[in-house]
Amino acid sequence: MAQQANIGELFSMLDSSVLLVQEDITAVFKDNLSSDRGPMLVNMLVDYYLENNSQQALQILSTLQEPHDKHLLDKINEYMGKAATRLHTLSLLGHVIRRQPSWKHKLSQAPLLLSLLKCLKTDTDVVVLTTGVLVLITMLPMIPQSGKMYLHDFFGIFGRLSSWCLKNPGHVAEIYLVHLHASVYALFHRLYGMYPCNFVSFLRSHYSMKENLETFEEVVKPMMEHVRIHPELVTGSKDHELDPRRWKRLETHDVVIECAKISLDPKEASYEDSYYSVSQPVSLCLQPRQIDPNAIPYIETHINYGTSTSTPYSTPRLTLSQMQGQLPQILSPQSTRLSTEPQQVAIWSPSAVCGMTTPPTSPGIVSSESSQTSSQPYSKYFSTPGGKGTPLGTPATSPPPPCISDDFVHVSLPSAAATPPKKEDKPDPGRPSLSRQQNVINSEKALEVPGSKSSVNLSDLPEFLGCLASDEDSVEKDREEDAISKEISEITTADAEPVVPRGGFDSPFYHTSESLPASQKKPLSVASSVQGHSLSSEPLASSLDKSGPEGARDTPKQAFTPIDRPCGASDESLAGNRVGQSSMETSILTPSPCKVPAQRRMGFGSGQPPSYEHLFEVALPKTAYLFVSKKTEELLKKVKGNQDEDCTSSTSPMEVLDRLIQQGADAHTKELNKLPLPSKSADWTHFGGSPPSDEIHTLRNQLLLLHNQLLYERFKRQQHALRNRRLLRKVIKATALEEHNAAMKDQLKLQEKDIQSLKLSLQKEQARYHQFQEEHDNIVAQLHSQIRQLQHDREEFYNQSQELQTKLKDCRNMIANLRLELKKANNKVCHTELLLSQVSQKLSNSESVQQQMEFLNRQLLVLGEVNELYLEQLQHKHADTTKEVEMMQAAFRKELEKAKFCVQQQSQRLDASQKRVVELESQLSKKDHLLLEQKKYLEDVKIQARGQLQAVESRYKAQKRITQAFELEILDLYGRWEKDSLSKKLDDEKTEAAEAAEERW
Amino acid sequence: MAEDSQRNFRSVYYEKVGFRGVEEKKSLEILLKDDRLDIEKLCTFSQRFPLPSMYRILVWKVLLGIIPPHHESHTLVMKYRTEQYRDVYHALQVIRFIKDFTPQVEVFLRMHQLESGRLPRNLAFPLEPEDEVFLAIAKAMEEVVEDNIDCYWLVSSFVNQLNNKYKDSLPQLPKVLEQYLNVEDNRLLAHLKACSAVSKLPYNLWFKKCFAGCLPESSLQRVWDKVISGSCKILVFVALEILLTFKMKIMALTNAEKITQFLENIPQDNTDAIVSKAIDLWHKHCGMPVHLKQVDFF
Repeated sequence: MAQQANIGELFSMLDSSVLLVQEDITAVFKDNLSSDRGPMLVNMLVDYYLENNSQQALQILSTLQEPHDKHLLDKINEYMGKAATRLHTLSLLGHVIRRQPSWKHKLSQAPLLLSLLKCLKTDTDVVVLTTGVLVLITMLPMIPQSGKMYLHDFFGIFGRLSSWCLKNPGHVAEIYLVHLHASVYALFHRLYGMYPCNFVSFLRSHYSMKENLETFEEVVKPMMEHVRIHPELVTGSKDHELDPRRWKRLETHDVVIECAKISLDPKEASYEDSYYSVSQPVSLCLQPRQIDPNAIPYIETHINYGTSTSTPYSTPRLTLSQMQGQLPQILSPQSTRLSTEPQQVAIWSPSAVCGMTTPPTSPGIVSSESSQTSSQPYSKYFSTPGGKGTPLGTPATSPPPPCISDDFVHVSLPSAAATPPKKEDKPDPGRPSLSRQQNVINSEKALEVPGSKSSVNLSDLPEFLGCLASDEDSVEKDREEDAISKEISEITTADAEPVVPRGGFDSPFYHTSESLPASQKKPLSVASSVQGHSLSSEPLASSLDKSGPEGARDTPKQAFTPIDRPCGASDESLAGNRVGQSSMETSILTPSPCKVPAQRRMGFGSGQPPSYEHLFEVALPKTAYLFVSKKTEELLKKVKGNQDEDCTSSTSPMEVLDRLIQQGADAHTKELNKLPLPSKSADWTHFGGSPPSDEIHTLRNQLLLLHNQLLYERFKRQQHALRNRRLLRKVIKATALEEHNAAMKDQLKLQEKDIQSLKLSLQKEQARYHQFQEEHDNIVAQLHSQIRQLQHDREEFYNQSQELQTKLKDCRNMIANLRLELKKANNKVCHTELLLSQVSQKLSNSESVQQQMEFLNRQLLVLGEVNELYLEQLQHKHADTTKEVEMMQAAFRKELEKAKFCVQQQSQRLDASQKRVVELESQLSKKDHLLLEQKKYLEDVKIQARGQLQAVESRYKAQKRITQAFELEILDLYGRWEKDSLSKKLDDEKTEAAEAAEERW
Repeated sequence: MAEDSQRNFRSVYYEKVGFRGVEEKKSLEILLKDDRLDIEKLCTFSQRFPLPSMYRILVWKVLLGIIPPHHESHTLVMKYRTEQYRDVYHALQVIRFIKDFTPQVEVFLRMHQLESGRLPRNLAFPLEPEDEVFLAIAKAMEEVVEDNIDCYWLVSSFVNQLNNKYKDSLPQLPKVLEQYLNVEDNRLLAHLKACSAVSKLPYNLWFKKCFAGCLPESSLQRVWDKVISGSCKILVFVALEILLTFKMKIMALTNAEKITQFLENIPQDNTDAIVSKAIDLWHKHCGMPVHLKQVDFF
């Protein structure tokens, strides 16, 4: 119980005015929640919130973690049943859901959903219905697949509310109906985006009934005019779009974007992917329209682009071609890549802006650098056609009007002091582009007024607008509305920024929201009176209503939002910067041209800028957004500075806004009680005769509704921011690749140049080579001719020498012949000499021979005589010798015969003896053989005998052994016998002795 | 050529198919036809081939020198041998060493003792180890040979051969056995060594008694063929083969006494195979007697 009491105290301290205490208490609660799992604390918190509308309690509740979700949902469900607390409960639920808690998937199973649907079906309070529908729309993308079982409930609610819009059964104030209408439109959009087939079939069945036909004509049909045909209607089916697999891969923001894609509303629809072309005509169509109010700058624009204004579609293309030629190299590939409006997309990569849009993700320095680099080439480009040396002058200071400059200083000082709180994280370098963009915006705003006017015509807004403007003349209210308008402007810009970079500013919605207040400010700045302002705004609004022929293009939502805008804008007298801006805008807007240059000179310090300002709008719509966002931050800061001095920079602008609205509401009630409101009576009657007491209630409700709508739009913005981060990453990658590509191309070019130069040098070298070759050929030819001449000479000389040689030979032959002849002659001489000597010898010889012959002749004669003498002697001695020889021959013959006989005898003897020898030898060998045989035999016999002998010997040995044995035996026997006989003898002796003894005895 | 024509042309294939002793018988008959029997050839033949049983006694008697190589003197020598046997027998009867009822084996023993001069003085003298050997051999021989006289002479000559010719080689046989066992199956040898049974193997039975009493006579006479023809190494291989054949049982036994006991009483059913394997093993390790080939017999 002590704890209970303790908690009570804590609750009382929860909304303490001291910040530190608040934080401490919040921390204590969170600790308790994390430790305690019971439902008590949650229930108490819900109770507390419903009673006191405490922001701290809301914050704790909206950040509840998993185990407490059930208690929270149960509690909310419980309060939902009670009509009194329903509205609060619903807003609490909306807060919780917009936080996207981790347990959001459980929502589809929770009974809370059922009771919410039931409430939407049965409740008759418009505020509750609108709030509930917004909560439902927020919830739908979170539970896409599980929500399908309630599909027909959704459709039923849509049917009921759409008919409600028309018929107004509760007879509530129409101003509520506008809100309801807006939320029904949003519901239509969400349902059509998520379940097209089912929804279309529902529409078909529901509005085929006659009683609903009117509703369809009046309410649904205009809505349908603002959506494209959904691709799922062609490719999908009823079952397919309910298939969980379809939803599984989509995150919440994906679903939101999917829904936004099918919108024809250029603000809503996305430029990315294939939907790009859808929004394109809108922006294109705007250009021709711009001609009307501000002819001169627009013409200049087209001169810059180098195109004619007559064909709006051709302009971007031509621009593109011109851009390609003029832009620096780095940008050219980017521009070629983009189809029709390359500059914006190329430059306006979210990286440049992300520093502003999503402060936590991207650091300010990076974004600032990128924004600077990206903006510079464009500034150059834009400056050149205009022939201006300094296109923007000093962008940081000049664009804002003098009255704003104070604020700028105020902003820039903290940022320069390097204290980056959330609001001031916009860096200085980014500012030039922003401020530059201001010009663009201003001019654009001025140009777009007709377009925006046209957008308003759909609904009965002007009336409301007028009413509201006239109604809210009290200062306090003005302040609140001012804050609201600021937040709305922030939200709208935030909405437009991520997906529709340009469309957000080209769209009528934007311009209406920005320019309308501006237009309303004009009288304010001039007359500076609330009444006058409200008066002036009315005609303007009415004129807007009438002059818009192209209203069909604009969405109902766009038509609705301006409602808020005038409310806020009409009270912008306190926002100084708005004043400055509005003064500038008015200067553009004013029909009297004399005022325009004066204002501009004041704003920019040079008269020229307007001529190219719209170029920024074409090329750099993002800067416009940057400017606006910056501005909103300034405003927020200012608001904070005005109202929440104690709230230091620790709280986010969102919270500040919420708190502001709350406190404004409180203050409003207080002030209302005090003020008698005398001047308002006329307005009340103008409005339709509602009693004043109702009026306060109405206004409060309206505030509530506005807040709800605001929260819903903020939720959408968050979803877009999520998606924006993803796209940003892709764009960064793409740009990096493109730069890489460009670098590669540069390299390629360089290398091609190299190749060219190398080819040139090659040609030179070839020429030189040819020259050398020719020279060489000439020399060779010369040398060849020389050689030929020399050869010819040589041949001549050779012939000469040949001749000489033949001559020489002849001479030699002659000499040889002569010598031969000489030799022959010599020979002859010798021979003759020899012959001569021989002859002489012969002569002498013959002489001597003659002498000998003579001598021999003489001897012959003598010998002949002797011979004759001997012959005579021989004849005398020849008779005895023959007889003796014959005798001797006979003797010898006989002797020979004898010897022959003797020889014959001897040989016969020899033969005989030889035969005998042979005979004897054979006998001898026979004998030897015999002997051998005998020996063998003998041996054999010996062996035989030995064998026998061995046997015998063994026998003998055996016999010997036997005899030995016998002897042994015999000896043994002998031994025994002797022993026996000896013993016998002894016995005998003994007996004898005994006998003798006996005898003796 | 004449001899060639006598040869059976199938003889070439007999051995391949596995028949043995078909041609041997014929060649042995040729050998025995020689008048002076060639002892060496008979020895070689006996070592290479198993002897036909009908010629076994004759060949043994020739190889042991009981009868001379000459056919003529056979009858005469046998007459002497017979007479000698009768004389010795008679003498023993006279000195009453043997009686009529004395077993023939003992008769042989006494006769051998008498002939070798070692006859004890008394019958009561205990038998010496060599007498035991003699008795075992005689007992085995008695189964082989029918005639007493032949038997006595064969036993006597066999024992004399063991005692004279193999006197030196017999004690070496255990070592040789160990060596071959190491070659054939060293695991078994290791086992035997581990059981310290190597020294306790029945060497007496195997090498002194030449397996008499260990192997049945049909197997034993084939072993003795080789022993008588001059190779006592066959004993080693028979012992080795016995060890290898009964390897599993021996390995199962771990006690030296049990191993010895088992080896002394080996089963008798498979001895022919053992002997055949042993002879193959012997041929494998010691080679065929080279100096005489089968061709020489024809």
